[in-house]
Amino acid sequence: MKKLLALLLAAVMVFALCACGGSSGSSAPAADSGDAAEAPAADESAAAPAAQSGGSELAGEYAITVWVAEAAVDLTTKQIADFNASNEYGIVFNATVEAVGEGEAATNMITDVEAGGDIYCFAQDQFARLVQAGALSKLGAQAAEFVTANNDAGSVTAATTGGEIFAYPLTADNGYFMYYDKSVIPEEDVDSLEALIADCEEAGMYFSMETDTSAWYMAGFFFGTGCVSEWITDDDGAFVSVNDTFDSPEGLIAVKGMQKLVTSPMYLSSSAGSNFASNAAIVVTGTWDYETVSEILGDNMGATDLPSFEVDGTEYHLGSYSGCKLLGVKPQTDATKAAALHRLAQYLTGEAAQMERFEALSWGPSNLTAQADEEVQANPGLAALIAQSPYSVPQGQIHGSWWDLAKVIATDVEAAQSEEDLQAALDSYRDKISALFEMSEEELNAWSVIGGIAGTSWDTDFPMTEVEPGVFQSDPLDLAAGDELKVRQGASWDVNYGVDGLDGSNLVVDADGTYIVQFDTNTETLSLIEG
Amino acid sequence: MSRHDKVDVRFENRYLNRHPNHIGMRAKNTISNTIIYVVLILMSVIWLIPFICILLQSFRVESTWQVGYVVPQQWGFDNYVALFQTDFKRWYLNTFIMALVTALFQTVIVLCMSYTLSRFRFKMRAALMRFMLILGMFPGMLTMIILYRVLKDLGLTQSNAVPGLILVYVASSGMGYYVSKGFFDTIPKSLDEAALVDGATRAQILWKIILPLAKPIVIYTILTAFMAPWGDFVFARYVSFGTSEGMNVAVGMFNWLNKDQIGSCYTMFCAGGVVVAIPVTILFMCLQKYYVEGVTGGAVKG
Amino acid sequence: MKQYSDLEYLRLSKGRKFLYGLGRFFTAGIPRFFKGIGLAVGRFFKRLGVGIGTELSDLFLTFKNGDWKTRSSYLIMGFGSICRGQVLRGLLFLLFEAVFIVYMLTAGGYWLSMLPSLGKQGPMEVYNEVLDAYTTQYFDNSFKILLYGVLTVFFIIAFLYTWRLNIRQNRIAEDILRSGKRLKSGKDDLRSLVDDQFHKTLLALPLLGILVFTVLPIVFMILVAFTNYDGTHDGYNNNLFTWVGLQNFNTMLSWSGGNKVYAATFGEILVWTLIWAFFATFTNYFLGMFVAMMINKKGIRIKKVWRTILVMTIAIPQFISLLYVSKMFAKNGLINLFLMNMGWIQQALPFWEDPTWARVTVIIINIWIGIPYLMLIATGILMNIPQDLYESSRIDGANAWQQYTKITLPYMLFITGPYLLTSFTSNMNNFNVIYLLTSGGPTNSAASSVAGTAGYTDLLITWLFKITTGAEAQYYLASVVGIMVFVVVALISVIVYNALPSIKNEEDFQ
Repeated sequence: MKKLLALLLAAVMVFALCACGGSSGSSAPAADSGDAAEAPAADESAAAPAAQSGGSELAGEYAITVWVAEAAVDLTTKQIADFNASNEYGIVFNATVEAVGEGEAATNMITDVEAGGDIYCFAQDQFARLVQAGALSKLGAQAAEFVTANNDAGSVTAATTGGEIFAYPLTADNGYFMYYDKSVIPEEDVDSLEALIADCEEAGMYFSMETDTSAWYMAGFFFGTGCVSEWITDDDGAFVSVNDTFDSPEGLIAVKGMQKLVTSPMYLSSSAGSNFASNAAIVVTGTWDYETVSEILGDNMGATDLPSFEVDGTEYHLGSYSGCKLLGVKPQTDATKAAALHRLAQYLTGEAAQMERFEALSWGPSNLTAQADEEVQANPGLAALIAQSPYSVPQGQIHGSWWDLAKVIATDVEAAQSEEDLQAALDSYRDKISALFEMSEEELNAWSVIGGIAGTSWDTDFPMTEVEPGVFQSDPLDLAAGDELKVRQGASWDVNYGVDGLDGSNLVVDADGTYIVQFDTNTETLSLIEG
Repeated sequence: MSRHDKVDVRFENRYLNRHPNHIGMRAKNTISNTIIYVVLILMSVIWLIPFICILLQSFRVESTWQVGYVVPQQWGFDNYVALFQTDFKRWYLNTFIMALVTALFQTVIVLCMSYTLSRFRFKMRAALMRFMLILGMFPGMLTMIILYRVLKDLGLTQSNAVPGLILVYVASSGMGYYVSKGFFDTIPKSLDEAALVDGATRAQILWKIILPLAKPIVIYTILTAFMAPWGDFVFARYVSFGTSEGMNVAVGMFNWLNKDQIGSCYTMFCAGGVVVAIPVTILFMCLQKYYVEGVTGGAVKG
Repeated sequence: MKQYSDLEYLRLSKGRKFLYGLGRFFTAGIPRFFKGIGLAVGRFFKRLGVGIGTELSDLFLTFKNGDWKTRSSYLIMGFGSICRGQVLRGLLFLLFEAVFIVYMLTAGGYWLSMLPSLGKQGPMEVYNEVLDAYTTQYFDNSFKILLYGVLTVFFIIAFLYTWRLNIRQNRIAEDILRSGKRLKSGKDDLRSLVDDQFHKTLLALPLLGILVFTVLPIVFMILVAFTNYDGTHDGYNNNLFTWVGLQNFNTMLSWSGGNKVYAATFGEILVWTLIWAFFATFTNYFLGMFVAMMINKKGIRIKKVWRTILVMTIAIPQFISLLYVSKMFAKNGLINLFLMNMGWIQQALPFWEDPTWARVTVIIINIWIGIPYLMLIATGILMNIPQDLYESSRIDGANAWQQYTKITLPYMLFITGPYLLTSFTSNMNNFNVIYLLTSGGPTNSAASSVAGTAGYTDLLITWLFKITTGAEAQYYLASVVGIMVFVVVALISVIVYNALPSIKNEEDFQ
């Protein structure tokens, strides 16, 4: 009788499979790549005749989902309605606007791009991740021109990777400065970190800046002494290298300054404006806390640029990051919808929309015209941000692991007993940064050809494969007479061979042709084989 | 109770006769009881403080962030009013539906499973139990990604997350049969055998004899199944992201304690906590007796 | 290690007995355990070999000796049953075969054929010049290929099993008819499902659920450990993923080269996980028992009230109580502010900032959560201890402590042995307490360049979660960690299980 049960089980499983297979069945045959590859071509020819009529080929209704921060939901709904009413293309969007926080949006997109919003806002530090995850649609030529022409340089950099633009700058106010309680802090002290700390300790109130848990704030000390941390990404959003000088004499000065703050009994590692309600005299935070702070402090609210700290008789003005929020369009399969969405994205990040956002939410614009607006300039929060701007560093692309690697510095500094400890904190930081780009055993042992060949100038490694034990060959390469080349191991010059052995001189090609470069590690001979 | 007391009295008398310093003993007893009372009162205070704080703070009108005092300076229902202007109602309803449906189906499944494994002896039984024991050792967190994808293929994520979550809760509930199996094990098998001799079918035995005896464990199972969806936020968040339509209370309210929102939503979180906790707690307190019986009867043996 | 005879053993002092016992555990117990595993594996393969042999010969003999109905059933499932009048069974067999064939032809074949490569063509970006817009064309989906590939394999196994069943059916039916008895009708079949086969009816639905929503996902996730599935190889939207063999295990477990940090982090988190599980289990166990004894003590009034107050922590959802408590202990939280306002401390206590503070704090808060459960359980057991044991011990002059160590504790330990084990392993996987209280923090700087940024209070399970949802979404690594968690839990369980007295015989209790 167990057969009956087995049958029942099996039968139900079949139905389950059919149900699953049904929905996926459509994607299985579609995977016939030849068929699908032709699709876009057909699409183009169909769209071509309509092109003359000036964009009306975009006309139609589109159901879309839009993800914005909780506070911006109502405004965005209104703006999309405005776009529907005013656009010249005849586009109508039936938009569902959902409140999804900017950090969460990126995580959700990476979890499942398909289920993501068609248009979504995110903080710029998520940008590279999102490009890598295939969650951002590349901007067309016209859109890219729109972005570069209308926005400040920092925001454009934030939306660019490998020379291509993938998103629209939405705000450029993601920087921090200092709010203080005028009833506690005398006006003349606001430029000196030491004086401010002394004031707080005397009043028994907090100096509140989130250095322990946020590298974003912590890095301000390093930028103040002229350190840099710049990351290079390619057009897939992948990180290829970093120029980071935190572990340097300037870095040591920075951590000495940081030590003054974090070892104070009245230091609070938090950058919430609401701290003023719980015994804080100073909070380092940004424009988003403007409402909160002014509500709590009223007339006693002061906002200004960050102070300077003094090490060995020299003053260093605290630096900061300046960043922006971006608006992205999810990759689409339908070109018309994609184009329509990009039109909407341009509207939402255009001058008028940014001004509206400034008026409703006090979000600082990235649009150049809007930035020059008198009202914007008069906003105390934004004014402080502008005062801080000479000392701020555009955020650019930053490796996702960096935030956690770097924030540890502050904790280490808090625990440091001596200058050696401070140096050790920087050293351990540097080790972890370099570990991010460390190569695997395999990569370290791999041989490659490098030279002034095939249009490269000693900057590209051509991989070699092992054809028999100890003998490595490259793929066939087109070489010209006079080209010079060498082979090296692990893409580094530590181990490299030329025609006359280790660290030997370059091999020079005699005649044009296609060659295979061969290196025999047993005999240490480099040779060309005509292929 | 009374019978035992009598025995004790008799026993105590005999004991006291042998030890003339019985007044000292009584004094010692009083002291130790006093100490116990002090400890218990202290514990009660510690146990209740967080809940009292949540309750008080939910009525605080001034500053919405944490403050150094507990009793509000200004009382009011502002937080509750604000609470019901958010999507909280929707989340609450979602969670309630999930809890109700899950409780129903999960109980059926768990009872089927545990009753069978407790009462029947069939060929694959030992292997099956061992297999499920091994399955249980895999961290469930791991399967989150794939469950999400499977639900997505069935169209049960995001705004349809409620039926999706119910499906997952119910489908995997068979794994949690241990406690109730332990309980069934304590019901004498001779009852079944007697009924079998009388010609009852297995199904009749389950309905007519076992289930009435198993009332505590049935209620225990319903109660635990009902309470679980109120607290699930990890998987629920993974399935319902991107739209507040499919969220449960835990997911929705969890966002309020995010760094960006805690400043403005903290007291609202407290208010939400109170609204969620009250019905669940009342239900729990009413059925506490069965819960205790279930835990002691089943968990220990499981 | 020297093995003592019984007589020698009895002469040893208490401490030496313990040491000896401990030594024997490592020198004899553990090797015996592994030997046991080895033998079991050997037995399994032997049985498997024998099993396959008999199956094959049985198949052959059934064909050879069977009549034409039986023989045609090799091709057309259920044919024999239908011919012999068992129409219901036969039709089910036939239906299953039909569905199987249709499925394999329409979809199953495709998924199966793609399984070795997990897809060939990733997504392509296409520029539409007219509209000046980029679109993306999507092709293969590695994730679905793996998922439905596995499902198809399951299905094929189920088919083979059913096919075999169908043939055995025929043989049995032939035997029955030969001996002149009547075959069961469809009605009989259905009736037996509520009577002697009732367990199958009861188990069908729960087991189906477990198969689809527990077994399948676990098999899938184990397979993911052998691929490079992560946020940038999600198999559809950016890059396809593919099989990478044992590379991920190599990354996680190698003790040399640049990957050493993974193994070191794993080791560190494992050690803390075990420490946590130990303290979380035993502090709750003993304190809970203690509280239960206090409340149960004769002469203590309003027992019900005390219990009810404590049980509040069970009733209120943890995400409310734990999140709230976590904020209470924050640097500018209620407790610190209160203590400072009272002037008892000058500086905020680093409950969540300092590694040691954080670890101790989570253990203490876990006591707050855990005592009520243990109190309930202990109350039930304590009431079952025969009172005359205490009475006679008191006559013998035993004091309270002696009563506890000689009567209460042994009794409790005997009854709750299995419970202790399960509570130890479930504490190892206690996601809620850690995640809601600290989210694993404070950050462990030594481990921070590893996926998921492990913190000092991270358990393996929260680390796994961080890896899954972290910046890089390294599912393959999470899968490796998950498998390791399984190995650790299984090892502990098996060792303890063999050492426990009270699980020896399940039937003893009934």
